[in-house]
Amino acid sequence: MIGRKPWVPWLWMSPALLLLSVYLVYPVLDTLRRSLLDRRSDSWVGLDNYRFIIENPRPLVGDTHSALLNNLLWLVLFPLIAVPVGLILAVLTSRVRYEAVAKSAVFIPMAVSFVAAAVIWRFMYEFNPNIGTLNALVQEIGGDRTAWLQNPNAPYIWLTERGPDSLPGPLQLNNFSIVVVAVWMWTGFTLVVLSAGLKSISTEVLEAARVDGANEWQIFRRIIIPILSPTIVVVTTTLVIQSLKIFDLVWVMTGGRFETDVVATLFFKQAFVVRDFGVGAALAVVLLLAVVPVMVISIRRFQFQEEIR
Amino acid sequence: MEFGRRLSRWTVLLAGTLLLAAFVAACNGDDDDDNGGGETPSGGGQTATPGQQNLGSVSVLGIWGAEELTSFDKMIAPWQQDTGGQVDFTGTRNITADLVLRVEGGNPPDVAIPAEIGLFQQFAREGRLISLDQCQGLEDTIRDNYPESFVDLGTVDGKLYGFFMKANTKGTIWYNPKFFDEHDLDVPEPDSFEDLVEFSNKVREDTDTPPWSMGIESAEASGWPASDWIQQIILNELGEEVYDGLIDGSIPFTDDRVKQAFEMFGEIATDPQMTVQGGAAGINATNFIDSTFPPFESPATAAMVYLGGFASGFITDQFPSAQPGTDFNFFTWPGGGITGDGNIVYAFNNNEATCSFLNYLATGEAQQIWVEEGGFTSLNGEVDLDAYPSDLARDQARQLLEAETFRFDLDDAIGGALQQALFQGLTQYIVDPGSLDSILQQIEGERE
Repeated sequence: MIGRKPWVPWLWMSPALLLLSVYLVYPVLDTLRRSLLDRRSDSWVGLDNYRFIIENPRPLVGDTHSALLNNLLWLVLFPLIAVPVGLILAVLTSRVRYEAVAKSAVFIPMAVSFVAAAVIWRFMYEFNPNIGTLNALVQEIGGDRTAWLQNPNAPYIWLTERGPDSLPGPLQLNNFSIVVVAVWMWTGFTLVVLSAGLKSISTEVLEAARVDGANEWQIFRRIIIPILSPTIVVVTTTLVIQSLKIFDLVWVMTGGRFETDVVATLFFKQAFVVRDFGVGAALAVVLLLAVVPVMVISIRRFQFQEEIR
Repeated sequence: MEFGRRLSRWTVLLAGTLLLAAFVAACNGDDDDDNGGGETPSGGGQTATPGQQNLGSVSVLGIWGAEELTSFDKMIAPWQQDTGGQVDFTGTRNITADLVLRVEGGNPPDVAIPAEIGLFQQFAREGRLISLDQCQGLEDTIRDNYPESFVDLGTVDGKLYGFFMKANTKGTIWYNPKFFDEHDLDVPEPDSFEDLVEFSNKVREDTDTPPWSMGIESAEASGWPASDWIQQIILNELGEEVYDGLIDGSIPFTDDRVKQAFEMFGEIATDPQMTVQGGAAGINATNFIDSTFPPFESPATAAMVYLGGFASGFITDQFPSAQPGTDFNFFTWPGGGITGDGNIVYAFNNNEATCSFLNYLATGEAQQIWVEEGGFTSLNGEVDLDAYPSDLARDQARQLLEAETFRFDLDDAIGGALQQALFQGLTQYIVDPGSLDSILQQIEGERE
C-alpha cells in the first residue's frame, strides 16, 4: 500500500506547494523585505516606511491617512449595506411568484467585471447632464448638477442646506458614489447565498411558530436570522475581504484622486507611479496584516463547522 | 467496489502528473518568452522579402492605439520590408507603470516610446539605457536634423540617450471662426496674459456666452490640463529662468512669482462666469476630451478652449464634418514662448535589430509617412512642411519649429511624485484658492 508511506502525501501536495511558494510565499517575503528598504530597495531604512504611513508627511500625493480611513469606510459601509439589502431581498423574493426573474435581475451585475462596471458608472455619474443619467435626473427634479466622483465634500444638494458643507475624513460624497457601485455589484451575491440558506430552513419550524401565534416580524427576527447566522457570517466575511482589497473600481472611476484613494490603489501608485517601493511595500504589508484576522476568523469558522458535521 | 477504488486512485495519479507536466510546461513557456522579449517570439522574418537578412524582432512599448497605431504600422512597414525585421508593438495608456514593472522585473522592451522624460532620465542615470552613439550613425542623424532644444532634452549627463519623434505644441488656443464672425469678434493677438483675460471679459459682455470651456478630469492624472495653463503662463509671463529653475530645483514652487502664475490661472479657472462649466467643481468634473466640444457645438456654448495641438483630433472625432480652418482653428498663446511635449524614443539594448530600427525611426523619410497620414508633428528638419495634410497641421509644426523659446512640458520634465503633486495641487487650488500657500508648500515638499 503506497498510501502508508509518510512522504506520499507530500508528493501529492508538491505541485500545489510549489505553486504556492512561487506565487505566494516568495512575493510576501520579498514585500516584507522591501518594506524595510529605501525607495529603490537599495539600503536599509528600518521602520521609516511605516513611520511614513503613520505620520503622513506628504498628503498631496501619498495621503496615507485618507487611504486608511477610506478603507475603513469601505470595510464598514459596504457589508453594512449589501448584507441587509441582500437579506431583505432574499426574504421578499421568496414570497413572490416571479422569484427567479427578480433574483436574476439583482444577480446580473455580478457577471459584469469590475472594470466594465466602473466604466458604466462613470457615465452614470458624468457631470455633463447630456451624458450623466444621474445629473440629468437631478436637474429634471430641479436640483443642481453634482460632481459625484470629484466632489470630496459632503453630499451638497440636500444636506448642505441644513448641515455642514464639508464632513470630516472619509465621509465624502465621492466615496459613497463608489461604494454604491460595489453594492450594486455584490448585492446579487448576498441575495443568492442568503436565499439558498433561507430555502434550507424547514417549513415545519416556520409553521410551528405560526401555530404558536408568532407574527411575520417575530419569525424573521427570532427564527430566520438565528438559523441563517452562519451564512450571514460567511457572506459578511467575503464582503469584508472584498472591501479590503478593493482596487479596480476606485482606480477606474477616480484613479484614487479627489481623496478617494484606498490602501490598494495607494500602494500601487507609490510603487509604480512615484517609484517608491519602500512605502509601496509597507502599505501592502499593512493591507496583508488587515486581511489576516478576517482570514483566521473564517478558517476557524470553517473548521468548527467541519467538526460539528 | 475494489475496481472503483483503484480507478479513482489512478485518476488522481494521472491528474497529479498532468498538473506537474502543465506546470513544467508553463515554466518553459516563460523562458521562451524571455528569449524572444515579446509576444511573438521567433515571429521575425515571416514577412521578409526573400534575399534579405533576418534581423529578428524588436519589441516596442508605446502609447498608441486605434488610428495612431494604424499610422505607426504604415510608418514602420518599409523598414520591415527592407530589413526583414519584425516589430512587436505593445500599446498602453498606462505606460509609466508598465515600463517600471517590466524594467524592475528584468524584462524591459527593446525600445520604449513614452511621452514623459522624468522616467527616461532616471533610467539613463541608472545605466539601464544605451547611449545613442552605440548605434552607428544615429547620433549624427539626430544632431544634424533636430532642434537643439530637443537634442538637449534627450541628453543626460552629457550623453545622448533619446530622441523625439512625435511632438505636440501646447501653444494653441482653439476657437470657432463661425462663432467669432457671428459676433463680430476679431481673432485676438494678445501680447500678455492680461490681454487674454481682457479679451475673455469682452467676449462675455459682447456675446453673453462663457468665454472658456475647461475640463481637467483625466482619472489618476486629473489636473494635467491645468498644469499646461500654468506652464504657458510661467514661460511667457515670468520667463525661461523661472521655468528652468522650477525644473532643476533652484526656484521652489513656493516662490512668489510661481504663486502669481497660479493666481493668473485662477482669474479664469476660479471665476464661475469665465467657464461654461461654471467654475472649479465643474472644471474638475469635466473630462479634458469632452471639454473641447462646447465651442464647436451648435449653438456654441463657449467661445474658446485651451488645449494642446492634439485637441484637433478630439474635435474632428466628435464633429466628423468639421473642417480645419473654417469650423475650428487656433490662435497662438500670448508671448513668444511655446511649451510642448513629445514622444521620446530610447532603447534598452544595442542589438543589430534595435539599432537598425532606431536609425530608421529617426529619419525624415520615415516620419514623413505619418505626417502625411495626419495627427503627427515632426521635429526632423528634413520633413517637408508641404507634407502636412492641412494648413492647421502645418501651422502647428511651424509654431513648434519657429518658436522664440521652446520648453518641454513642465510636469513631464519634473516627473515622478512632484508631477503628481502638481496635478493634485491644481485640482485643490481651483476649489480652494485661499489655501494656495499651503498647497505650494506641499507641492515643493515632494521634490526629491
